[in-house]
Amino acid sequence: MKNRDYFRRSIESYNFQSIVLVSMLVAMLGFFFAYIINGFGFKTWLDSSVNLATIFFFIYRQRWLPLLIIGLPVVGGIGQFVIGRNICSVRDTWVIVTTFLTILFILFLYPLAIVEGFYFEVPYLLGFGLTFSIDMVGFIMLLITSILWFLVMLYSHEYMKHERHCNRFLFFMAMTYSAVLGTIMSGDLLTMFLFFEMMTFASYVLVTHGQKDESYSAGYNYIFMGLIGGFAILAAMILLFVHVGDVRFQSAIAVLSTLGSVRYWIIGLLIFGFGIKAGMAPVHVWLPRAHPVAPTPASALLSGIMIKVGAFGMIRVATSYFFPETFVIGTIWETMETIGFVVIWLGIITMAVGVFLALQQSHIKRMLAYHSVSQMGYIVLGIGVALYLGYKGAMGYTGAMYHIINHALFKSLLFMVAGVIYLRTRENDMYKLGGLWRKLPITAVICLIAALGISGIPLFNGFISKSILHHGIVEAYEYGHRSFYYAEWVFNVISAGTVCSFIKLFSYTFLGKLPEQYKDMKSQFMSLHIPMFVIAGLIILIGVFPRFILDGFIVPALCCTTYDPNFIQTYVVGLAFFTSEDLLSMLFVVVLGYAIFYAGKRWHLFHLHLPHWLRLEYMIFYPINRLMRLACRFMYGGQCRINPLMMSRIDLDAKNDVGFLERFTLTASVFNRRYENLIIKSDALIYTLILTGILGYLLLRI
Amino acid sequence: MIEQLPILNLVLLLTTALMIPFTQKISFKTTKLVGFTVLLTVLVSTLFILLHVQSEGAFYYHLGGYPSTIGIEFYVSILSAFFTLFVIALGTLIYVYSTRDIEHDVYAQDYGRYYTLLFILLFSMLGIVYTNDLFNTYVFMEILSITTCSIISIKRSKKNYTAAFRYLMLNEVGSLSYLFGVALIYMVTGYLNIDLAAESIQQVWHLYPANIVIALGFMIIGVSIKAAIFPFHIWLPDAHSTAPSASSALLSSIVVKVYIIIMIKVLLRLIGIDILEALNIPVFLTIIAASGMLIGSIFALGQKDLKRMLGYSSIAQIGYIVLGISLMSSLGLTAALFHIVSHGMMKAALFLSAGAFIFLRNQRAINGFNGLGYQMPISMAVFSIAGLGMIGIPGTSGFISKFNLGVAILDANQWFLLVILIMSGVLNAMYYLPIMINAFLKDNPEKNRVMQFEKLPKVMLVPIVVLGLMIVLVGLFPNSIMSYIEAAVAMLLA
Repeated sequence: MKNRDYFRRSIESYNFQSIVLVSMLVAMLGFFFAYIINGFGFKTWLDSSVNLATIFFFIYRQRWLPLLIIGLPVVGGIGQFVIGRNICSVRDTWVIVTTFLTILFILFLYPLAIVEGFYFEVPYLLGFGLTFSIDMVGFIMLLITSILWFLVMLYSHEYMKHERHCNRFLFFMAMTYSAVLGTIMSGDLLTMFLFFEMMTFASYVLVTHGQKDESYSAGYNYIFMGLIGGFAILAAMILLFVHVGDVRFQSAIAVLSTLGSVRYWIIGLLIFGFGIKAGMAPVHVWLPRAHPVAPTPASALLSGIMIKVGAFGMIRVATSYFFPETFVIGTIWETMETIGFVVIWLGIITMAVGVFLALQQSHIKRMLAYHSVSQMGYIVLGIGVALYLGYKGAMGYTGAMYHIINHALFKSLLFMVAGVIYLRTRENDMYKLGGLWRKLPITAVICLIAALGISGIPLFNGFISKSILHHGIVEAYEYGHRSFYYAEWVFNVISAGTVCSFIKLFSYTFLGKLPEQYKDMKSQFMSLHIPMFVIAGLIILIGVFPRFILDGFIVPALCCTTYDPNFIQTYVVGLAFFTSEDLLSMLFVVVLGYAIFYAGKRWHLFHLHLPHWLRLEYMIFYPINRLMRLACRFMYGGQCRINPLMMSRIDLDAKNDVGFLERFTLTASVFNRRYENLIIKSDALIYTLILTGILGYLLLRI
Repeated sequence: MIEQLPILNLVLLLTTALMIPFTQKISFKTTKLVGFTVLLTVLVSTLFILLHVQSEGAFYYHLGGYPSTIGIEFYVSILSAFFTLFVIALGTLIYVYSTRDIEHDVYAQDYGRYYTLLFILLFSMLGIVYTNDLFNTYVFMEILSITTCSIISIKRSKKNYTAAFRYLMLNEVGSLSYLFGVALIYMVTGYLNIDLAAESIQQVWHLYPANIVIALGFMIIGVSIKAAIFPFHIWLPDAHSTAPSASSALLSSIVVKVYIIIMIKVLLRLIGIDILEALNIPVFLTIIAASGMLIGSIFALGQKDLKRMLGYSSIAQIGYIVLGISLMSSLGLTAALFHIVSHGMMKAALFLSAGAFIFLRNQRAINGFNGLGYQMPISMAVFSIAGLGMIGIPGTSGFISKFNLGVAILDANQWFLLVILIMSGVLNAMYYLPIMINAFLKDNPEKNRVMQFEKLPKVMLVPIVVLGLMIVLVGLFPNSIMSYIEAAVAMLLA
């Protein structure tokens, strides 16, 4: 009895704590935003108030502020091992307070970000020294990352009570956080690569946290795709270093444009490498596997933040290396045009693949993960437009940045909703749920807000960025290639698919008939609802006042780039939201979405699946296995010496879920078992042959 | 005074080797102490030599005062000074580790013999690095391969005898073909001293191209067999996997590298880049290296035994080093020499921690690593650091060597080698990552999965930890050793 009392009190105090922290956050952000737009004369007052100004001045003049920001989560991560091995509320408070402090210090970076390009160098590390820089684009990413991370950590306290190894989870969460912040703040490609690899490895542990078979196989997929992406970035970095001589994020187009095909290799490898992390179409395969198996707070951040870091990397490298030093019109933009063309279509393919596969899913988190792929497609499309149109690409850039912010908000909120549903029902399959709105009314409302956000309904944030991206693609058609006329159509159909998908999610889980076993469930307010309210509030606020983010953050970020200033002034600053044109096209999308949903439900289209022989593993390894067996039969007749047990594991019919790498390893080991001893035993023969061969070759050459 | 130190080092190591049977009569503890003191003394003196060479420049030492035309000559340049330091430093760490590990692997009556062999091994390696004489190199090589063979067979099992016998036979082929090459060079030039021979080769190579080519072919093949460069690697997996763990570390991280130093000396100091390029040798080396990088890794993928896998991984990594040499540019050589050091540290860390798993858990099979990270957290962590280094993750020394090698490759305009480099990195990941993942993230149903403190003896733990720290430190601050390597490369290409 006493124990239970203590338990209840600790929960309540946690509720109290989180409300305090959240209101502090809101107050802080309120002051900050007031400072930015000089609301209520706040900025003037602060600048004139001598004492406060000196304090702020002292803090933000510290050049080591980036290191402090990167180091703070690490301190939190290591500290929680020491402080709270067993007492979970103390430990979580500690972690949350450190993430909160990180937001505070990140806000201090604002004056630096807005005024000047800020450089800080740690010499000698890794041979070349690490550099950090903060500009407005980085600041936007930092702000959204830190706010979301803080809210998710608030959420994870309640959620992680039901999971094991909390210390390990929190530690690697902190490491990932620090790596993400480092990636965003890095001032050259080497530093970015260092933190990027750190992020891959730290988040790997989050993906496999469940320690089930599926998490291991998803984890293998994740880490190897991540490593391959890392190696692609490494190759691009070496190319850059050899040809340009410097990997700092500054314009290198003067040198690059003289390089011929090498420049396409550099940008291609970079986009491939960052695209893997961003879940771009042909290389998205890890994402729908890895995000659902991770614990919900981790998947909220994986989908909310980490894939955006990939998109941010693309923006960063493209706009720094491949953009001219100052605004010019001319052939210098030609490189970008070719690349942008490819990237736009990659984005559209990503959108289409994501939505198409999402419609077939029944597992809620997997469906959300496929939507992450599809929404990343929107962002990649925006980046593509930003590159394709050269100096007129500001609209695509705006759309991509805006959609990064918006998608981070509603996707992490949707994952949190999925987490609450799983926590209460222990069920992830939406076909087995229904009627939950009676039992979980708060969650249902939040889910509705997030779903309206992602479907792009007016007055919610998704509408804003989607209509900007729509403007972008229309501009790509008007100023560029004819084929983008079709791209615009695909864009609308895919938006309809998204609407349909979320009608499906909401109706299957929250509407309809309640299954028998959930009859006794009680509605309950939990501390994990608090952060969800905040995000839902942000979604609506952005949806109603879209100009704020645009004028406060994105337009200053645009001014750092070398886009045409007149274009920015006329089209981006003068952008009108909620025009009848946008609203009408949205109406069309919603109607189409509902039609797809109706058709899908009527004719059971959501249950169709692709045949498994279409998978790449089969196409490559099936013929190889057949060949090996054939060769063996040819050599030994009936007594094939290849271990049949090993072979059967890679066989087509026996196992469907053996991945590419495992098949490769198995084939390699079959080969090894068969030939290794043979090679070792025939040593003398091999030496004689090689010795005579080499000597003969050398003698013949002279 | 400092000029006498190289020969004093050699004498000290040799006398210790001869003293050990007597100290062993007193007690094993005395042997350990004497050996450790001697190694520390040699370490300090190599450090002094390095500092001296750095400030005053390279110097020659003539044994017995004979002139270099007929006598034996030591050439103590920054290359030899740095690499003797590297050999002795790693040797000391491995020695400290072996004083306890030996109990697991070797019979008690063989302790004295083992350490005698170990000191002769170090003696001959130092000799190879210092000497400036082709025939003298051959003598030290013979001593080295015979002692290595005895060290492999000291465990007295059938497997070891087979491996040792194969090692001996193949290495004899290598030594003899090297000797034959030396004879051919002597025939052309009339000198055995590298500097003098190099001078006359520069003058006469147009007259005797066939001699030079055959000599070079024999010498390269001879050294390649000993350094386990790809098609000649066949002896290595058996030898390195059956030897006692400390010796495997020694063989893989130092002994093989010493032969590569011979190769560098022969190629660059004796023949010179111009002649090599005229004879088209670099292309041939590039092909060998690139195929070794891939095939070594593919063979490593299929192994069941951890130490055997590490052996195959060495073959792939030696491919990196030879690739760097084959580019014949200052960047390539820098990368190669850096990778000698970095692979030396990483492979030593890997073999020593593998030895720790064998010592405590008798765990050799790769598929039995589930949950081992909870029982032996420290050695598994070092194993992981070294494994990540092999893959080339930034923050470890492996990344720096990979980056430098990549830069050197592109500088030589051979982008397809970059593709091979990256494929090899992915292959490395495919056999190192699963071990780490199984050890740290998978459950073992039989064993308790509460985190334990490492039960490994301190004597074994300290070298492992020091190696792990060195990998990270060199990875973070590569300039500390890069300056020596750049000086050495400048000397080689001068």
